[in-house]
Amino acid sequence: MSTLSNASPGILPSGPAAEVAEEFAITHEDIDRAQDRERVSIARAKGGFASRFRLLWLLVGPGILVMLGENDGPSMLSYAATGARFGIGFFLPFIVLTFAMAVVVQEMTVRLGAVTHRGHAELIFDRFGPFWGWFSMIDLGLGNFLTLITEFIAIRAGLGFFGVPPWAAVLSALVVLYLALMTHRYWTWERITLALAVFNLIFVPLALLAHPNWSSVGHALVHWKPLPGGLTKDTLLVVLADIGATVTPWMLFFQQSATVDKGLTTRDVRFGRIDTILGAALAATAALGMVLVTAPLLTHQMSAENFQAGEFAQALQPIIGRFGAALFALGMVEAGIVAAITISTSSAYAFGEVARRPHSLNLPLREGKAFYSVVFLCAAAAAAIVLVPGLPLVNVVLIVNVIAVLAMPPALVFLFMLVNDREIMGNMVSPRWANMLAALIVILLVSAGVLFGVSVVAPRVFTFLGGS
Amino acid sequence: MTERNLTIGEGSSLQQNWTLGSLEAGQLTQAKRKRLPRRALRGSQILILWSMRIYVLFMVAVVVYQIWIGAR
Repeated sequence: MSTLSNASPGILPSGPAAEVAEEFAITHEDIDRAQDRERVSIARAKGGFASRFRLLWLLVGPGILVMLGENDGPSMLSYAATGARFGIGFFLPFIVLTFAMAVVVQEMTVRLGAVTHRGHAELIFDRFGPFWGWFSMIDLGLGNFLTLITEFIAIRAGLGFFGVPPWAAVLSALVVLYLALMTHRYWTWERITLALAVFNLIFVPLALLAHPNWSSVGHALVHWKPLPGGLTKDTLLVVLADIGATVTPWMLFFQQSATVDKGLTTRDVRFGRIDTILGAALAATAALGMVLVTAPLLTHQMSAENFQAGEFAQALQPIIGRFGAALFALGMVEAGIVAAITISTSSAYAFGEVARRPHSLNLPLREGKAFYSVVFLCAAAAAAIVLVPGLPLVNVVLIVNVIAVLAMPPALVFLFMLVNDREIMGNMVSPRWANMLAALIVILLVSAGVLFGVSVVAPRVFTFLGGS
Repeated sequence: MTERNLTIGEGSSLQQNWTLGSLEAGQLTQAKRKRLPRRALRGSQILILWSMRIYVLFMVAVVVYQIWIGAR
């Protein structure tokens, strides 16, 4: 049996569900979630290493999905461009630092979900009012939709390397998304998506194929080299954009809602943290692998800043071979598909929470029409847009980047305020040291977002730093 | 009770008791339909929210500007 919530009486229902049996009816969603919790209880009750490992297996999921989902098409392209443009010196440790910051931020969503059993959008709506609730949902929905377009661009480009026509590429991705959804079971959906997400690590063997100088790699990770060419306007913008994109709004909403849908409780917070750290470690490894794969392009003095996925695969072929280039393209496809699945699901969760509609991957179709419709229609609409000939997709990518960075400050501020809301968190609020660390990171991410926004409307503001 | 012993039919009292025994009160779907009360905000928090309203205006302006630049 899970421990009691530490929230104040009257704010959140607390205690065993049996105590409120007369007040609330059981639903299909409750039964499915109870089945998942029963497996956790059985594993927890048993002792021994095998049971602890099984418990870990049962409880990981949202953290790994959100971190590997963040290694989406545009992010992987961004890492590729970073490696090709700057090599490994500054950005290898920088990438590790950004994922460490992401862990601090995402851990707060685990605690919020496990304690309150409510999604992020729902908490914002309830605690701060309808204006902020609807703003958060619409802001998230718009950003997510535009991001989905970029994911299908990556899928199209990746499969295009193999000669797959664009319509077949996006249709295949939609079929995968649909099949995962139609399980009507959070646990099954999660395992299918995890199996896809782990393929993000394909960039690790690809890094081996690039034959990096491991001594230089180790040196770069341990000794933080200065930015190549120093801090110029261009490099500052790259750094600001990378900091601002460390955590994107959908990650906050998704991990908290998935934590709730999975049924995690306060007893599982430790495993939720392990899940998040593990996800960050895997995602950082894949990101570093990508940088190592494309770093040789710098040595070959190849200008790859604006390369798309297919162009990178072709440019890398002399370095990693035809098989390696094919794996690169498949890695981009995977990045796009997993992100498409997780991002569209985060939109559906947020919509359901704010609009007070049922919202769970455990719902049968007849009960979850609105939820499943949002997931599928968001993805389908984005996929359709990618097929429109002549559309300025490069502009879409630019706008998505701007929105993703700018939308973070409000999301982070709400996250910080909610996780310190003693009325809902009880004594699961952050200890002082953790609050100071989180506050520092939130201030850094907010500042990077604001500065990036300023640079968009006033590019000359950083001219004093030099550069183009 | 394990999932292998579940009886078919959501209305069965055995299944209901088993479900209630596995979940916390706050995890029940219908329990979550009850809205939480609005948070009583302190002065500093109200100031933060007003700052965010101003930030949202800034954010919308930047995005519109970026779209306009892209469309030109």
